[in-house]
Amino acid sequence: MLLLKQRHEHAFSYLYDHYSGSLYSVIVSIVPDRELANDLLQEVFIKIWRQIESYDNAKGRLFTWMLNVARNASIDAVRSKNFQQSKNNRELTENVYDEGGSIQTNTDKIGLRKIVHRLKDDYKVLVELSYFEGYTQDEISKMLNIPLGTVKTRLRTALIQLKQVIKS
Amino acid sequence: MDINAYIQSGVIESYVLGLSNAEETAEVETLRKQYPDVDKAIDEFSLSIEEAAMQNAIAPPAEIKQKIMAALEKERQVPHVVSVLNEDKKEVPVVQLASTYNWKMIAAASVILFIASSFLNYYLYHQYNSNKEAYQALLSERETLQVNNQMYQTQLKEWQLAAMMMADTGMATVKMHSLKGKDDAATIFWNKQSKDVYVMVNKLPEPRTGKQYQLWAMVDGKPVDAGLLDPSCVSVCKMKNIPKAEAFAITLEKEGGNRAPNLKAIYVMGSI
Repeated sequence: MLLLKQRHEHAFSYLYDHYSGSLYSVIVSIVPDRELANDLLQEVFIKIWRQIESYDNAKGRLFTWMLNVARNASIDAVRSKNFQQSKNNRELTENVYDEGGSIQTNTDKIGLRKIVHRLKDDYKVLVELSYFEGYTQDEISKMLNIPLGTVKTRLRTALIQLKQVIKS
Repeated sequence: MDINAYIQSGVIESYVLGLSNAEETAEVETLRKQYPDVDKAIDEFSLSIEEAAMQNAIAPPAEIKQKIMAALEKERQVPHVVSVLNEDKKEVPVVQLASTYNWKMIAAASVILFIASSFLNYYLYHQYNSNKEAYQALLSERETLQVNNQMYQTQLKEWQLAAMMMADTGMATVKMHSLKGKDDAATIFWNKQSKDVYVMVNKLPEPRTGKQYQLWAMVDGKPVDAGLLDPSCVSVCKMKNIPKAEAFAITLEKEGGNRAPNLKAIYVMGSI
């Protein structure tokens, strides 16, 4: 850890070898576009490199911290890309279907998202919207027309079930 | 606090996954210091997420690692504050001077901006207040105009009615004049068919407080009450129905009127 904090190259190389696969699986479960996912993986590791000093062992595992960095970066990217696309769509309506050419992943079958698919539909949708799409509980409450309190308790139940699914 | 119930509430999981709000996060972080069980639950869930992610790992394209390591190599060459401090002490004062100079500039700029914005605020606030006052004044002026306008409309209608009466050939008019040679005067309009009586005051002095004008009809030499003159009526005022009369007179009586006229206070009189 100390080596990492001193930005030791070998330590960082080890960190990449050890964690890039699991972080990549999280990124591709949020971002369907593989090219964008590849860029994000780079961005995430560079962020980890820059911010390693702000990571505090006492606050949790290194992986948990890196996972949150990866998740936040992916959600941000999807959101700004969606924004960009909706802007392009307005300008170039006929080109919408030609867009891209890069491989699109079916995010549902990937990594952690695969586990979430073992949950009941009611629970699945809450985990999907909050964890993989980054909506706040307030936004979800409005989208699904469910009271905020219900969203909160149902999401917590969903997470407890998720924990059991992971353990089994 | 039932710490087991807390642990099983799902709050730990949402904290680990980064789904808790600021309040919940602070709570979990405080409680994990007090309760080893909370700390343990956090670690356990973090570990199981980590294991699940490891099991589901997807190998990224191999060239990404090279790209990252190359990017980090560049980063390393950019002098970080940390590396400057560690590596070359001679450079430190230079960096510090530059940075204090910058800070001074920024501080000075922000003070100037603050003062400028204070003045602007003061100016705008002043402007706002005077506009507010002007607006209030306009509002009350408009209200006065509206009230006046309504008043004129009512008066106009009354006068139109009066004009129609004067032109009406079925209406007998009786001019009443002062008995004392003053120019006080009033006119009676008496409908020949319905026998309704209307009075129009041409000129009468303003009654003293507590006093009111009263109209009388002389019927067979006796005064009969024909109604009180409403002070709010400015043109033609409807009075009582008088089937028969030889003359009309207006006297000043106490407010609310009298049964018999005060003959000393006859202001105007006119016979048919």
